Amino acid sequence: MSTKPLQINPIKLSQPMGALLCFLGIKNTMPLMHGAQGCASFAKVFFTRHFSDPIAIQTTAVNDITAVIDGGDYSISEAIKNITAKVKPDLVGLFTTGMTETKGDDIKGATYLLRDRQKMVYVHTPDFEGGLESGYGLSIEAIIEQLVESRSEMDYKKALLIPNVNLTPIEVEKIKEQIDSFGFSSLALPDISLSLDGHLGKKQGNLSSGGISIEEIENLATSSLVITVGNSVANCGKLLQKKNPNITHFHFDTLSGLINADRFYQSLMEFKHISKPTPNIIRWRKRLQDALLDAHFILGGKRVVIAAEPDQILSLATSVTEAGAKIQAVISPTKSKALEKVVSQKIIIGDFEDVEKELTNADLLISNFHGERLSQTHKIPFITRGFPNYEQIGNNLKNDTLYEGDCYLLFEIANLLNHHQASHL
Amino acid sequence: MINKKLIRELLNESACSHNEKKKSSCDKPKPGATSGGCAFEGAQIALFPYADAVHLVHAPATCIGASWETRATPTSWEGENNVVMGYSTDITTNDVIFGGHKKLEASIEYIVAHKNPKALFIYETCVTAMIGDDMDNIASRMQEKYGIPMVVVHSPGFVGGKNLGSRLGGEAVLHQLIGTKEPQEIHPFGINLIGEYNVTGDMWQYTPILEKIGIKIVSTLAGDGRIENIQMAHSAKLNVIVCAKSLITLTRKMQEKYNIPYISVSFYGKRDTTNAIMSIVNAFGDAQLIANAQKIIQEKEAKLEERLAPYREILHGKKAILNTGGNKSWSIASALQDIGIEVVATSIRKSTLEDIEIAKEYVKILMKNPAQEQAQLIDEHQVDLLLAGGRSLYTAIKKRVAFVDVNQEKKISYGAYGGLENLAIDVVRAIENPVFKIVGTKAPWEQ
Repeated sequence: MSTKPLQINPIKLSQPMGALLCFLGIKNTMPLMHGAQGCASFAKVFFTRHFSDPIAIQTTAVNDITAVIDGGDYSISEAIKNITAKVKPDLVGLFTTGMTETKGDDIKGATYLLRDRQKMVYVHTPDFEGGLESGYGLSIEAIIEQLVESRSEMDYKKALLIPNVNLTPIEVEKIKEQIDSFGFSSLALPDISLSLDGHLGKKQGNLSSGGISIEEIENLATSSLVITVGNSVANCGKLLQKKNPNITHFHFDTLSGLINADRFYQSLMEFKHISKPTPNIIRWRKRLQDALLDAHFILGGKRVVIAAEPDQILSLATSVTEAGAKIQAVISPTKSKALEKVVSQKIIIGDFEDVEKELTNADLLISNFHGERLSQTHKIPFITRGFPNYEQIGNNLKNDTLYEGDCYLLFEIANLLNHHQASHL
Repeated sequence: MINKKLIRELLNESACSHNEKKKSSCDKPKPGATSGGCAFEGAQIALFPYADAVHLVHAPATCIGASWETRATPTSWEGENNVVMGYSTDITTNDVIFGGHKKLEASIEYIVAHKNPKALFIYETCVTAMIGDDMDNIASRMQEKYGIPMVVVHSPGFVGGKNLGSRLGGEAVLHQLIGTKEPQEIHPFGINLIGEYNVTGDMWQYTPILEKIGIKIVSTLAGDGRIENIQMAHSAKLNVIVCAKSLITLTRKMQEKYNIPYISVSFYGKRDTTNAIMSIVNAFGDAQLIANAQKIIQEKEAKLEERLAPYREILHGKKAILNTGGNKSWSIASALQDIGIEVVATSIRKSTLEDIEIAKEYVKILMKNPAQEQAQLIDEHQVDLLLAGGRSLYTAIKKRVAFVDVNQEKKISYGAYGGLENLAIDVVRAIENPVFKIVGTKAPWEQ
């Protein structure tokens, strides 16, 4: 734990930003941030630059007067009035900020008053608590609690994937495809593979450009299986089971690394009473075995520093340690149970000032784009992962997960280290 | 404490022409129909370019967590570059309940002990304004204790938009920095550059020219700025507002307090750059200075024309539509015309009355609702190029015209004479790029 009174170059991203990403994975949705206009603007610019695509969001634009005399009703109902005058969202995802939580606005009540005008989900996400992962997780929980209908019957073909915030659009799609190969027709909540995947859409509209539909969400309790990936969304699986106790819940802290991917496929095989997955999966495992062997010459014994969200730290650390790298330090913006599973010499809750202190003896830094400047100063190889990545394009199609993605990640790191070694001979 | 009277005064700036008719970007934001940043962002834009000062944001995660190291405002400061740093007190639930003043004080002490800033800017944000931390008190105590300026900027996002925030930043500088240091000598042709943030090094495109003419840049607010210089800003003879009206209150007050006149200029495009330089030297009225300027402008323009010649050939007769906001609606139009492009229409949807008045001088068709108008105008006028934000990309693909994203973070300067060549290169590359036609082809299953 960093003992500084302040953060210098924070890794931390806020809860409302996590909530925004979640609602962007719901089809035809308007994410509505309840706060001053700047919170929404910062978040919009941030993700627009990260994904190189337009981001839908609106704000209740609380001002100096409504900040004092309004309990939330006025600015929220005005916002709904103004939004629906222009577009017809299937859902408005309402989430709070530090300011409106300090005021103590009754967003549940405000949503209730508007129930005949607009379907809404509300969630409390003050930015003085938690972080990106918890904002995303809390929003999924709110969607399940407020939208999913209780059921007792089940559709044995239906499976639900609940990803954590760090999984990219293509990773969500790949995991769904793998689940489908076991005879499911799977859904993801939220599903950013249909919205933030960087596709050329006909309308660059004001609402989310795709994702899971409201009707699909309402009927999620007929899923026979729910798979949660990441500690930050583990609780969502349990909540769905409350809507239908017959649902089976598989939880994985990460799908990175050969051993974790094995566990994932084994669980699916057992659930479906299948003795062998598709030939393609078998082939990818063999490729990963080979990739690990090829990469271990280069990664073996290398000292790695990772700064990221907790679930992503666990994923990245698992992948590189399987090839023999040593984790010198991980720096997380927030506490999480995921960090207890990370094998690292040091586990720090801190900022990029803490990251910099760990770089003197490191061979590789993995972090968001803010690490690039540090890696240049310290002349060590750098891999960009996490939010934000302003420097590179194609972030939406970066795949590190399961057998296939793991191969790509190991190659990327090994090639970078090799190149760095060659250029510093 | 937020000063309500000051905010009202800033919003009713008498030097703004639109305040006669009362419709401006300073109006209250509409819930559910608002885009654009808050007052804190405006203060950040105005002041963060001071690289030799630490900018401490007294706030929870969002304010600086999502916004540090985002603005490309380079500096020549050789110490630690604070422009690319993010300092946050990271307010937590505990602070909301018990107050954040202790944390703020400890943070300031940490910064002074570990860094060596020339000053501290301390930004008040929504949450810390609401929990009522007495930041002014802490700052003045700390300033006394450590002997460096500690400037509190009262910029909680809920007081208004970016424009107001920049004004609040300007007020803080006016009251707490300007006039706190005396120069050793006073230059007869000293100017302050106000509202120039040196984005992508825009300022460096023209400051060497001004210096060559014989003008001294006393201080800037705040591109490549130094605290020491802004402290001596009162010794300048002229304030030059660059392409921004947000700091007009500051210059008006400096005129009242220090008797410094001000002019407003733009350095985009050849004509505007030349006009800007001439406005500055004419303001001084010195014959030698004017002669110097005329000579140097002539040289620069001739050189520029030489370099632009190959691009002019390609761009001759090309038509463009411009869909962007604020002063860009005319400043970019002017620059495009300077490289030989006919600007058919420009958007005024997000422009102030002043901007609309200026835009009229450059472009015939002013689009009030560009999203609907631009597609039709592309057909009617056989336009070759659409310059707009990402949302209009599909229009360009559908109409098979070249596209330039003008709202994307610029990586390269379009400022002054040198930047105009960069703009010409980018536009030529867009027009010659086959990508828009290839992407626009139909899939085999759509035929």
